[in-house]
Amino acid sequence: MSGTTTVNLERKVLSENDRLAAELRGEFTRHGIFCLNLIGSPGSGKTALLERTLASFPPDKRVAVLTGDIRTDADARRLARYGFPVRQITTAGACHLDAKMVVRALEGWDLASLDLLFIENVGNLVCPTSYDLGEAAKVVLLSVPEGEEKPLKYPGIFFKSKLMVLSKVDLLPYVPFRLDDAIANARSIQPGIEILQVSTTTGAGMDDWLRWLDKR
Amino acid sequence: MHEVGIAQSILEAVGTEMKPHAGARPVKVTVRVGAMSGVDRDSLSFCFEAIVRGTVFEGMLLDIEDAPADELELCHLELEEP
Repeated sequence: MSGTTTVNLERKVLSENDRLAAELRGEFTRHGIFCLNLIGSPGSGKTALLERTLASFPPDKRVAVLTGDIRTDADARRLARYGFPVRQITTAGACHLDAKMVVRALEGWDLASLDLLFIENVGNLVCPTSYDLGEAAKVVLLSVPEGEEKPLKYPGIFFKSKLMVLSKVDLLPYVPFRLDDAIANARSIQPGIEILQVSTTTGAGMDDWLRWLDKR
Repeated sequence: MHEVGIAQSILEAVGTEMKPHAGARPVKVTVRVGAMSGVDRDSLSFCFEAIVRGTVFEGMLLDIEDAPADELELCHLELEEP
């Protein structure tokens, strides 16, 4: 008996990743951990934002960081200076973190000792978009030198992020970046996206960012 | 270029679905890709063709349909029964 059969699949392509992410989200919720997935281009200032953030926390702050890169533990070393738990995830070529990498990286950590977990994704505006890591929210960084059209060119991540951090705003006088256009572009992709303007060099906007974290 | 990983996930799903259909040949798999999913259709097609080559999935077609927003869904699989 030969013929063609059609099988309905009716599920997400990344259902296995989503299953692990749902488990992670369950764990984070159970332990009252607010988890953020930081996404931005290489050099957009993700690590700098985390450095300045960690530096502002009291030593008893219950915070930890997972930081992803294709190679090197340079970021983990930078971030470990502030005395909070930090782990590097090296993806050995992969352009994004996935939920399985996060599950592995969290092994042996006492989640009960945390209130806040930052996951710094691999520098990339495209690939991390598709992979849920169990976070409460994605935060996208757009640095001033990258140009105001990035939300239009890479809409996926701006669509999925709760907050856009416009970073390196101290460079506004020196580069041809139309701030209003950047904001309008992001809102044209996602009208409800929250936007903060931050400079980790001058500290401008850091209070807003810390308040945003506190509100969660 | 995470489309290789996406293509791999599609093949894994197809492999799982093929198990109860011994001897069948996969003809076409249909997926729905939204414009906000972060997946580029052309590179997904390219990667798919590259990774099925030389495997039991060689010759299987990937059909990509439009979907709203950030959807990235497997729809159905067409098999040729022996």
